[in-house]
This record gives sequence, structure tokens and C-alpha cells, in this order.
Amino acid sequence: MPNSTNTTVRKDTRTQEMNKFMVIVNRLGIYVVVALLLIAGQCIRPDKFFTFSNINSVLQAVSLTGICAVGLAFIVYSANFNDMSLPMTIAFSGMVSVQLLQYNFVLSILGGIAAGLLMGAVNGFVIGKLRAHPIIWSMAFNFVMSGIVRWAWAGNQIYPDTITENAATAEQFYALARTYLGKSIGLQIPLMVVVMLVMFVIGHVILTYTSFGNQLKIIGSNYDVGRLSGINCARVVFIAYMINALCAAICGIFLASLSKVGAYYNGEGYDFECVTAVLLGGMTLAGGKGNMVGVFGGVLTVGLLTNVMNLLGIPTFNQYLVQGVVFLFIVWINTNSARKLGKS
Amino acid sequence: MKTKLLKSLNQYRAYVLVVVMFACGVFGKNFYTAYNIKAILDSTLLYAFLGVGFTLCMVAGHMDLSVAAMANLGAVLTMGFHTFSGMSWGPAMILAILAATLAGVINGVMISKAKIHSFIATLGMQFVLKGVMYIYSKGAEISDKGDFGFADILNKWLKPLPITPKILIMLVIVIVVAVLMRNTRFGRNIYMIGGNAETAWLAGIKSSRYTILIFAFSGACCALGGALFAIAQSSALPNMGEKGISPLLVALAATIIGGTDTNGGRGSVWNTFVAVLGLMVMSFVLSNIFGKFEVQILANGLILAICVFYETITAYYNNKKIGIRQPLLEQRQKELESAQ
Repeated sequence: MPNSTNTTVRKDTRTQEMNKFMVIVNRLGIYVVVALLLIAGQCIRPDKFFTFSNINSVLQAVSLTGICAVGLAFIVYSANFNDMSLPMTIAFSGMVSVQLLQYNFVLSILGGIAAGLLMGAVNGFVIGKLRAHPIIWSMAFNFVMSGIVRWAWAGNQIYPDTITENAATAEQFYALARTYLGKSIGLQIPLMVVVMLVMFVIGHVILTYTSFGNQLKIIGSNYDVGRLSGINCARVVFIAYMINALCAAICGIFLASLSKVGAYYNGEGYDFECVTAVLLGGMTLAGGKGNMVGVFGGVLTVGLLTNVMNLLGIPTFNQYLVQGVVFLFIVWINTNSARKLGKS
Repeated sequence: MKTKLLKSLNQYRAYVLVVVMFACGVFGKNFYTAYNIKAILDSTLLYAFLGVGFTLCMVAGHMDLSVAAMANLGAVLTMGFHTFSGMSWGPAMILAILAATLAGVINGVMISKAKIHSFIATLGMQFVLKGVMYIYSKGAEISDKGDFGFADILNKWLKPLPITPKILIMLVIVIVVAVLMRNTRFGRNIYMIGGNAETAWLAGIKSSRYTILIFAFSGACCALGGALFAIAQSSALPNMGEKGISPLLVALAATIIGGTDTNGGRGSVWNTFVAVLGLMVMSFVLSNIFGKFEVQILANGLILAICVFYETITAYYNNKKIGIRQPLLEQRQKELESAQ
């Protein structure tokens, strides 16, 4: 091979022109919006907005969405669009855990989580191994599960205090969503918020610093490249769905505890709400982009937007319009900045 | 032979569903009456329009999650223009359909020009439309205040046939769209865009213009369905069908059962309509036999899930066969057998 030794390494002299504004948008992303909302809130109610109780209530309002969004981020990250079976995962795990209260408190929590994981396993197998269309399959599965849950409990709601004869167990279950930590240092942080923050930290570590997270990124960016580079794609996607189901199950148990009832309609609306938060956080449906810090920003945005609108006195139903427009606008900016930078 | 039968069964599964479910009416009481058949046909009204819109978008390789919201918008605006503004039914319906078409155009522009994924764009549009409807109707039900003239015309039973005028309108629209999709250049181009967007672009099809057109048409179609539904019911709610089975899910189920490919490029509007009919026959039969709402939801979901699962399994095994050359495989097997 005569030529191979003589080739000189030519330096790449092409310059990459990057739109500075778009770089800022792409890096800082959603936190610009969070800062804007904080400033707006301060302007509207200078006396009330930056109090500990207000910020705490914002966090508490989004904590359940946040817990789900951590899990859903893994699905979106692996380019599987959205898990439309979230509502029934939440409802089913909540109902199982309420039903199992008749035996034991610990058993009920474990049972609820196991019920959620079961649904995650089915989703993970069909979508990860058999590669069904994620949205269509999860919608169909949601439909089936909603039928099964309604049929099994005959369309009724179940109440912890009628299920269990031991009143203390029911009280224990109710207290789950009403526990406040940090009383000794004068703060009252709800357990749900602490769980959400811990899960965000764990999710960030898993997504960024483990080989699983890297494999998920490759699969999300390009499935075929992932397969050809020797990743067991079915296993990785399966684990992503299991993580999602775990988060949804925890959310479901908290929701059942908070509303003191296990019902088939418990998780309604969570599928769209969570994907809104995840997409606001800079993840794209194309997969492989974004990070958990951004998702936390997205969750904060959802909470702060509702809070600011409530302070302004906009009625609940009219908030849909503002939420929709803000959602579309931010997603458009995200998409546009990614395209300007040549990342999409 | 066995696989051939299974294949043709799968190809005509919408028809199979209709026939099997209709035959199951034997177990019910008073199922085969003209009134009952008329009621079944009547109940397909809204879902057939939604199914047409949804199928068009899915054939082009997109998802339109805002179909239910569009239909709701059509219903609320038609009723509102008639009751609040005192318009007659015709202009009210046309204005409502124009409003939904505008929303559809915005959908299409977001998807084709701004390159937002159709799932997100229509999801956001759903919230926007919901907000608009609640602001317009103030969250309350809008009724037509006793003006039943047009509703009576729409609901009139054309006696020897189990048909009402609103079903006639629906059938005409479905057939027109089916012919449009099947026999015109416009329709074939939509299939081409769904099958392979890049090839379509290389073949000189202006895919962005088509995307906008499809979404606008889907919006108009859904709004017309919603308006007819609302007029026939004499009232419109801003949260139509949110309790029980959501219309979006029925439209999705019908589209999938009708054989539309989830990735686009294959499907037919007429089959979607047949699937809607099948689902409606099924829910009538089940409510006749069991009288329980839960069973209907379970059966709807199961049929949808089985269809999706079957297609997934078929695609999975077909994918495994790609690249395997049959003669070589047979030769290799013979070698193995002779070696033993």
C-alpha cells in the first residue's frame, strides 16, 4: 500500500457558524422561561409571591407530575414518543394498593408498585422486543386496561377506610401524602416534593453517568446504529419502560393517598401533562436530546405558569388556552434552535 | 391454505367484525328490529367523521390528536352562532367549519413549515381549542332553545330504509372522500407522501402544501360531523364525550381496525367507516346482552389491542426473514440432514 504512508493530514478549515442566540436558547433552554415567570410573579404580587409557602405550594402542585415526568423522560429520550398508558398505570397501581390495604400497609405499597411494573413489562415487551408503534400500542393498552379495571371493580371507586377494618392502616395510607419533613428546622416540606427531588437526582445520574443512559442515547438518536453497535436494544427499551412504570406507580400510590380514593379515573390527563413538561424541558420527540435538568425546568414552568395565572385571577378553563399557546411557542423555539444549530 | 385464510380474514377484518357482531345479536332480545338498526347507524355519525379525518392524516404519515377537539369546536360554535348571535343554521355551520378549517391550517403550517412533530402540534392545538371553547361557552351547555326544526329534519326516519338524512349526508361525505383518495391524483399523492416522504418530494409533490391541505380538510370534516351531531342532539357541551369512551379513541380504534398502516402509506377511508360500524354494532350487542358499560370498553380495547398486536407480530417475523435467501436455506438444511 504505497499511498497510505504519504497522505498528509489536512486540517479542516471550515468554520462552523453558530447563531449565538440559538446557542443560548439551546443551552439554557427552559430556565429563561422560568426566570421570566419568576419576575412576572414578583411584579404581580410583590407581597405574596416569593414567600416560602407559595413556592412550596407550587412545588407540591407539580410534584406528582414531576414524579411521572422523570419516568416519561426515559421513554421520550429513547425516541418512543410518549407512553399513553400512563393514566391507567397510575389508576391501576393506586387501586391495587388500596385493595391490598386489607392485609397490610407494606404489602399494599409493594403490591401497587408491582402492579405498575407489570404494566410496564407488557409495554416494554411489546414495544421493545416486538417493536410496535409506541403511541398506538400504549393507547390500545390503556383502552384495554381501563376496561379491565372497570370490569374488575365493577366501575366502582374503593375507599381505604371501608376496605380495611384496621383504622390505623387507613390513617397510615392517608398520611403518605400528608407527611411533612424538616419540622425541626422550621420548614414544612411535603414528602411528595422530597420524593420528586430525589427521583430527579437519581434519574439524572442514571441518564447521564451510567452506561445504560449512554445506550439509551444511542438508541434514541438512531435505533439501527444502536443495534449494529451491539447494544441489546430490546433489553434497554424494556428497562426504560420499567423505570417509567415504577415512577407512574409511585405517583399512583401518592395520588390515591392524596385523594383518599382508588378509582379508574385517577390518572386522567397525566399522559398529556407529563409529556408537556418533558417537551418543555428541551427533550425532543426525535429522541436522544435533552437532559433531566431541563425536564425539571419544564416541570417548574408548568407549575409556575399555573401559579402566576391563578395570582392573575384567570379562570381554570381559560388557562388551557394560555397553556396551549405557551407550549406550542416553546416547542417551536426549541425545534427551531435545534434546526438552526444543525442538530435536527 | 391456513395462512391464506388468515391473511384474507385479516384483510377484511372490519367486515368480519360487522358480520360476527351482527350475528351475535341472536343472543340478545329484540335485536333485529328496524328501529335498532337505525339507532346503530345513527350512532356512527360523529365517529365516522372523526375516523375520516384521522385516517386521512394517518395515511399521510401524521397523527391528528385534535380531531375530537375540532368536532367539539364545530358543535359549540354552530350552536353558539345560532343561539347567541341569531344566525340561521346554514351560515352558522359554514362559519364554524371555516373556524375549524383555520385551526387545521395552523396545524398543517406548524407541522410542515415549522417542522414540529404532528403529535406535539396537534396536542397543543387540542389545549388551545379547549380554551377557546370554554371561553366562548363559559363552560356551560349551549342548547338551541326549542328550535327543533332542523333537528327534526335531520332525525326524520325515511321509513322503509333504516336511514335518517344525517346518515345520508355522512355516507355521501365518506363515499366522496373514499373516491377522492382512491381515484384522483390528489389522493394517490397523499398515499405517496405517507409511504415515503422523500420519494414523494423527489417525484415533485409539494408535500408541505399537501400536509396543510390534509389537516385543513380533516378539521373541516370533523367540524361538520360535530355540528351535525350537536344539531341532532339539540345541545352542545364544551367537553363532549370526555366521560366514558373518548371519541378520539374510537376514531383511532376504527382507523387501526380498518387496516390503516400506523406508519402511513396504506389505508382506506371506506374501511374505517366499516370499522366504525362494526364497533357500534358491537357496543349495541354488548349493551343488549350484558347491559354493562364496562364490558363495552373492555371489548373495544381488546379488539384494538389484538389488531395492533397481530400487525406487530407479523412485522416482527417479516423483519426476521429479510435477507434470508430461501434456496440457500433449503440447501443448508439438506446438507445438515445428510450430515446426520
